[in-house]
Amino acid sequence: MSVLQHLPLGRFIEAASRGSRQTKQTVQVSFIVMLLMAAMALFSAKVNAEVPNAVPPEGSYSGIHVEQPIEFPHDTHADINEINCMYCHTYARRSKVAGIPPTSKCMGCHSVIATDKPRIQKLTEYWENKQPPLWNKVHDVPDFVHFTHEKHIKRFVIDNEDLEVENVSEVCAFCHGEVKKMTVADKVKPLTMGFCQRCHQANDGPSDCWHCHK
Amino acid sequence: MSFSKIKRRDFLKIMGWGGVGATLVGCDLPTTVTLEEGKEKVVSYLMPEEYVIPGVGVWYASTCQQCPSGCGIHGRVREGRVLKLEGNPASSVNKGRLCQMGQASLQAHYNPDRIAKPKIRRGSSLVDATWEEAYGLIAEKTANISGSKFAWMTGSVSGHQSVLLQAYLESIGSGNHFVHETINNAVWAKVCQDMLGDSNPRIRLDKAQSMLSFGADFLGTWGSPLHFSTEYAKFRTSPRGTLIQVEPNMTLTGANADLWVASRPGSEGALALGIANQLVSKQGLSMSGLPNSVQSLIRSYTLDETVTATGVDADRIADIAATLKRRSPSVVLAGASAQGHEHGYQCVAAAMVLNVILGNIGKTIESNGEFAYASMAPVSGNTHSLVSFSQAAADKRFDVVFFSGVNPVYTAPKSLGLKESLANIPFKVVFSHFNDETTAMADVVLPLASTEEDWGTHVAPYQAGVGEISIQQPLMEPLSTETRGFGDIVLTLLKKRKETAYEGFADYYAYLRNAFSTIPAEHKNGASDEQFWTDVLAAGLIDVGVKKTSLKVKGVEFDMPKEMGNSSAMILAPSARLGFWDGRHANLPWLQEAPDQISKVVWDSWAELHPSTAKKIGVKEGDMVKIASASGEINVKVYIYKGVHPDVIAVPLGQGHDAGFSRYAKDRGVNSLSILDPKVDKMTGELALYSTNVKVTKAAKTDDVLVRFGGSETQVGRKLVSTIPADVYERTEGGDHVA
Amino acid sequence: MSLSNLIDDWSRYRKGREEGGFHDYEHMWGMSIDLNKCIGCNACSVACYAENNLAVVGKEKFEKGQGMHWLRVERYWDEPDLGEERTSEFQQHGASFLPMMCQQCNAATCEPVCPVAATYHTPDGLNAQVYNRCIGSRYCSNNCPFRLRYFNFWSYYEDSWPAPLQMQLNPDISVRDMGVMEKCTFCVQRIRTVKDTARMEDRKVRDGEVQTACSQTCPTGAIEFGDMLGMYDPETGVAETRVTKMWRKHQVELGKTKQNKQTPEMRGYRVFEFLNTDPCVMYLDRVREV
Repeated sequence: MSVLQHLPLGRFIEAASRGSRQTKQTVQVSFIVMLLMAAMALFSAKVNAEVPNAVPPEGSYSGIHVEQPIEFPHDTHADINEINCMYCHTYARRSKVAGIPPTSKCMGCHSVIATDKPRIQKLTEYWENKQPPLWNKVHDVPDFVHFTHEKHIKRFVIDNEDLEVENVSEVCAFCHGEVKKMTVADKVKPLTMGFCQRCHQANDGPSDCWHCHK
Repeated sequence: MSFSKIKRRDFLKIMGWGGVGATLVGCDLPTTVTLEEGKEKVVSYLMPEEYVIPGVGVWYASTCQQCPSGCGIHGRVREGRVLKLEGNPASSVNKGRLCQMGQASLQAHYNPDRIAKPKIRRGSSLVDATWEEAYGLIAEKTANISGSKFAWMTGSVSGHQSVLLQAYLESIGSGNHFVHETINNAVWAKVCQDMLGDSNPRIRLDKAQSMLSFGADFLGTWGSPLHFSTEYAKFRTSPRGTLIQVEPNMTLTGANADLWVASRPGSEGALALGIANQLVSKQGLSMSGLPNSVQSLIRSYTLDETVTATGVDADRIADIAATLKRRSPSVVLAGASAQGHEHGYQCVAAAMVLNVILGNIGKTIESNGEFAYASMAPVSGNTHSLVSFSQAAADKRFDVVFFSGVNPVYTAPKSLGLKESLANIPFKVVFSHFNDETTAMADVVLPLASTEEDWGTHVAPYQAGVGEISIQQPLMEPLSTETRGFGDIVLTLLKKRKETAYEGFADYYAYLRNAFSTIPAEHKNGASDEQFWTDVLAAGLIDVGVKKTSLKVKGVEFDMPKEMGNSSAMILAPSARLGFWDGRHANLPWLQEAPDQISKVVWDSWAELHPSTAKKIGVKEGDMVKIASASGEINVKVYIYKGVHPDVIAVPLGQGHDAGFSRYAKDRGVNSLSILDPKVDKMTGELALYSTNVKVTKAAKTDDVLVRFGGSETQVGRKLVSTIPADVYERTEGGDHVA
Repeated sequence: MSLSNLIDDWSRYRKGREEGGFHDYEHMWGMSIDLNKCIGCNACSVACYAENNLAVVGKEKFEKGQGMHWLRVERYWDEPDLGEERTSEFQQHGASFLPMMCQQCNAATCEPVCPVAATYHTPDGLNAQVYNRCIGSRYCSNNCPFRLRYFNFWSYYEDSWPAPLQMQLNPDISVRDMGVMEKCTFCVQRIRTVKDTARMEDRKVRDGEVQTACSQTCPTGAIEFGDMLGMYDPETGVAETRVTKMWRKHQVELGKTKQNKQTPEMRGYRVFEFLNTDPCVMYLDRVREV
């Protein structure tokens, strides 16, 4: 309650302080909870050495493993062959959505590379049928959340002059985890509002609701 | 499309359990994580165009087809769907603006009741068929037809669609092209042609200082409404023009008038002559340019005579004349309610005489020039064609008739007997988007691609001194694989008739592409063929210029009937509104839910009555009245206000669709066109829409209520809309406004 | 978060008013509607339906006052300032049209009554409504003097967009479900898109770059929309936006309960200004020859 009383907000305080004793207690309890959380956040906040000028969001999640029509090996591409995430997810820096790469992009390489592998043959089959595969969505947020990739890439990659180019995937890993160690991507970050919000607080992101919800 | 999976009830539960504390830390509670992985599908492009970025809208230029005005539009396309239309700022017609019908074009495109497959009549019902069957049947029926036995009824048409359509008529050897629009300027055009030598003169609202309009609803339905709306904004900026509207019931233009005068339908001509008399006798203007018979006609309409003939106050008539003289240049227009009589031509001619006396010709009424390519020039519709078609059908003159862009079974008064005489036509082909009244009677239904799916070129019938060809291009893939563009269908029909000139064109796109390759080089500005085509598509239009013409005032003799029929009977006014237009947009839910501009009625028909007439009949708002003419009767709910002449009952157009037009228009309201008498203007043959005498009586109420938006007709003392006199406006803002 | 937003913005607004300016506001979006030009044609209203995923509720629900027209065109027959209509036989000066949408009040009465802080002021001067936070108490609607907030009494999406109509829905904003309040947002999705673009190009938003659906479509150009704080354009060297020019010309200032105009005849006014809600929409008097 003490937090509120110092604000120049006559009308609002009047309404709030008329609350029952029980409400006050709840508020006090929650205030302590908040303090504890803030303390925990302070101690646990780690700076990722590979991504300068950024505090990675805290939080983890373990969900279900989702099968995909083709078991796409992110590890082969991003880790072993060190392909930049945005080589395939090319829309991430230009749009709200990162986008699944178009089938033509896969075929750009795989019309000649590794054509004997069964997964590539399956891909070629899709290509020849002119029918892109129907992927199962792993990283999803509710429809009232309007997340934009481009602004995040702008903040953490494009405007981040100290970032080494080979570490771009570390930025993506903030929200997507170490996808380069996976085959098909699994959701390993909670992507809840709290998860977003902690990152926004730590990195001076906007706290305006209408930035994401509209 | 998925929607939020959070149940509000669950959310409330969390709130109740945790109180304020929970809402503050609740952002991380697992209960709010409701989306499971793998529940939704995501599909990539196979091979996208370079400029396509998912999540980023791309704008394409096209042309609106909601009314014949031909406004340029931009469509926002995202992930292959068109989401929003805006006006194309490059178009001289609408200058980047768009009306509600244009906005709602998307709902015609995405309409759940669109026809998705060709249909062929088997006995009493229409059954799904293939295009091959439909084309085959048409080829069979038209194989050996003589030209006089074939007819094609269309709405207003222009551009390359018009070229192909004429080519098809020629291939059959038929000259029977009926162009029908219920909302038209046909009488105005005829009078302009006769008196000025140009059927489509340019109206300079931006130059005019005052305007007298006899029922010309130029903000709603007259001419090119959106164009005149943009011009109206100029008319109203300082020095602010004065608008005087004379009409039987208030239109959108009337609602914006400085002075609104109620007229008994048919008396407009007398009023115009009375004002002319005042201008000559009191304001010192000359009428020497007019034929002697017209001069003596004007002399006969003295103030007393005019008051008797029109019922308008003497002071008011003198005032109007004085205002027109004082606020020069002026412009006098005439529209639907002035032309809709047996002497409609004379009424409009009398209005044009005012323009001559006031010296407006050449000042506010200019020559518009003529579109350079006659075969693509717009062919504007009228109701004379509907009358003559009905007659011909009754006389069993046709064996095969095509209908496209029209719904004559709905727009023809029942007294013309069109619906019955259609049975005399053995084979009817309807090009259609929806299962409207005419489509329901077809033998073959050809489902058309929507405006947003089709190619085309259009020449707007009213352009301000320019000759723009506006491009219509698809804004997205067709929703159904079984619909075809109008141009594609006609091209196929031409090929089926073994017209070798068209063999080289794979589709209508190829035809259009070739037409733009072979366009005279002066229009290409030195660009390469491919570059020129890209530029035209990006701009949405190309100005090919006009042939200069000039206006020449010609003396036209006309008379004015003194006796206006039964002067004690009520007259039905089937007024049109920007919205449903002639009824074609009643299937668009946005327009059904958009309250009518004047009465604020939604989802229904209504009859407008003056309070004194309502009192006489004994009805209150929402009560039912029976309107009976010699040709039929309708029952409709009443809206009472002071914007209607006491002798008039106005039932705006739009509703009363009896076929399965769509779930939104079905069983809703009445069609006031249906009970009109088959009277026509004697000079032009146009249907006299405002001349049907009716008897209005109270009828039993039904459960179906009149729903209107807003509770209050007045501001109840609150300063919501405040009004200042024009002289104050001129004093404070005259000559200095934010551009 | 939302609560802190509410508190921060209120204190910022109060401070700004006391010191005669709007502190720390990045933008302050405002409007000017010229009733001399408005013809009451409904284009703005239908454009709003198209842009903002507004549900069509049908006749029965419309009758109960559940129409979701965020922008409605009101029509009045009387003219208190001309004072003649009650006695004359005809409606001789036409009708009075008033396009009415959320007035984006700076001291919005809807904000302090929301029990969950779902409506608050954004740093660019918008009165925000956060659907996923709203619990549907409808206090805001009760407290709105303009009656411009619309409540989802039903899950309208079930009936409003039968396939394929749902393909027209704008993916930039949510489709609202049963139990939440909604209202005009000044097309926040358009504002945000333009701001994002400007940010991606490392520049500021230019005047005229953001257009609401209603102002873009208005056939007579009666609706002007822009930044009330002005925008500096390095190319023209002009700091005023079209909207600020209009407000200055008509001598209407934000943050005042009563305008002390030098020229009292200037047409600008704000609806219900005396209620001290400080709306961001200025109307210009209708003009009639009398």
